[in-house]
Amino acid sequence: MIGGETVMSQEIGQPVVEMKNIVKRFGTVEALRGVDFTVEKGKVHALIGDNGAGKSTLIKVLTGVHTPSSGEIYFEGKKVTISSPADARALGIETCYQDLALIPLMSIWRNFFLGREIYTNLGPVKWLHRQEMQRLCCDALSDIGIEIRSARDKVGKMSGGERQSIAIGRAIYFGAKLLILDEPTSALSVAETRKVLNYIENAKAQGLPVILITHNVSHIYLVSDYYTIIRQGCKVGTYQKGELTQEDIADLITGTREA
Amino acid sequence: MRKKNIYSAILRYFANSPIAGPLLTFVLVFIIFLIFVPNFASWRTISGIITAVSISGFVTMGITILMIAGEFDLSVAPMIAMSGYLFGTISTGADSVIVNTLLKIGLPVEGGNPGLAIFAALLVPSIMGSINGLLLVFTKIPSFIVTLGTRQIFRGVVWIVAGGVLFQTIEKLPIYEVFNGRFDMVNKLSFLEGANFRTAMFWMVGAAILFEFILVRTRFGNHIFAVGGGEGAANAQGVRVNRTRVMAFILNGFLAGMAGIISFSQFRSVRVAEQAGIELTAIAASVVGGALMTGGYGSVWGAIIGILIINMLRSGVILLKVPFISADNFPAVVGVTIIAAVIINNYLRNRSTS
Repeated sequence: MIGGETVMSQEIGQPVVEMKNIVKRFGTVEALRGVDFTVEKGKVHALIGDNGAGKSTLIKVLTGVHTPSSGEIYFEGKKVTISSPADARALGIETCYQDLALIPLMSIWRNFFLGREIYTNLGPVKWLHRQEMQRLCCDALSDIGIEIRSARDKVGKMSGGERQSIAIGRAIYFGAKLLILDEPTSALSVAETRKVLNYIENAKAQGLPVILITHNVSHIYLVSDYYTIIRQGCKVGTYQKGELTQEDIADLITGTREA
Repeated sequence: MRKKNIYSAILRYFANSPIAGPLLTFVLVFIIFLIFVPNFASWRTISGIITAVSISGFVTMGITILMIAGEFDLSVAPMIAMSGYLFGTISTGADSVIVNTLLKIGLPVEGGNPGLAIFAALLVPSIMGSINGLLLVFTKIPSFIVTLGTRQIFRGVVWIVAGGVLFQTIEKLPIYEVFNGRFDMVNKLSFLEGANFRTAMFWMVGAAILFEFILVRTRFGNHIFAVGGGEGAANAQGVRVNRTRVMAFILNGFLAGMAGIISFSQFRSVRVAEQAGIELTAIAASVVGGALMTGGYGSVWGAIIGILIINMLRSGVILLKVPFISADNFPAVVGVTIIAAVIINNYLRNRSTS
């Protein structure tokens, strides 16, 4: 079974995360100057900005890597303090960083269950259920449309898109309440990008809200329900799908056009 | 047709396994010696190689586990010496710094206490291992530097504990026979002419099976690979990276302690500089055995095959009687082997992982 609760249709549109007036200073540098950011259930929300605009800082505040200088975070309606990546994870926030998601020298199933292995306690020894994990891993991935040859293949053998898909599949399987993907398509071919976008669609169909962090609008334009654009530590605005063209977004990112 | 499928399945299994490279090197070296060295496949040679491997094998396993976790340890030799002194003096109850100190605090070591000897000889090196691990974790100094330092410090501590003198005994305690006695029951069999097997090989094979299970089939083993293969990813998945590292150092210390017991049981002597230089042989054997210096890859069986290759080379090259390559000049051959083996290992690993 896929972990986590099924999201009722009436819940879609309820906010999962609300970040209010987030300020983050590094010494005298103000990386975030009072940013509001809300993600709703069952929606894909793109967070767009140029390099150094503050999108990574905002996400790191949400995932507990940075503590905000001021501002409030609400998760599922409750005010929370996220002071470490472990806190974020305990809330159900899963982040797939570009390079940090998987271990190339380990097999697919070992990556899939890393840190959440299924085991029996034999005294001090935690004996792994290898067959069961291999089977569950294959099933879980095939549920979201990812077919693998063998769960025992090394992740290093897989393409960038396949690796992303495993990280996404893992987040869904373990009942994440919010999935954050950092530049999920930046290193991928066109065909691979299309596949990853499909997996994101599948994640969304299962009710999982997704934040896509990117500076490349063209890839994520079709899959996103909302776009929030950040420039120089300030939010330019949040727009619904279809409200802006790709050119509009590009102009807003670079500041060629004011909101 | 069907037969071919079975062959290709076996081939695929080995090509994807971390012991593929070491096994290939082993077979190559063995065949070369079989052709060029008369009587290489004699029981005397084979049992000699296995006996030599029984001591260094423990160290190689420990170093391999550390290398999989992305670390290594240059301070193994003083751990072996410490274990040897503790085991030797406590098992005999001989007049020594260790025994006199233990008597003072009221421990029953008068006349020898083999049980306590084993306990101390395994516990103290494990603690030394944990010191390495904790220093590494808290100072964030790379393990090369940390253990380069503790190697000297530990040797100093061993010197103090040993009173600066060699310890030897002529007593033939049954416990020595258990750990590394002559295996005469087998050696006397008529078809094993010239064989000189010792009981230590069973301890080593037992340890290899145990640690292979730990690495491949337990959560802790899984985390060792994860920490070495991608610290950031392991941390992000909630693996307790530092704890896993310290545990790997403790296991390495424990295995060094085993090596000390086995070594003392065979020679019934131990000196402060016992096994000096073994860490480099063990690192070489681990690398020949397929472990990656950068972490995340390797196997216990690879380690055993690696140390077998190095000891087989030693025996084989000496028997070959090549001019300029005597027993003393043997490290040159190890150098060639390390590089050749790593080329083979890299080729096979890249085929299965990228």
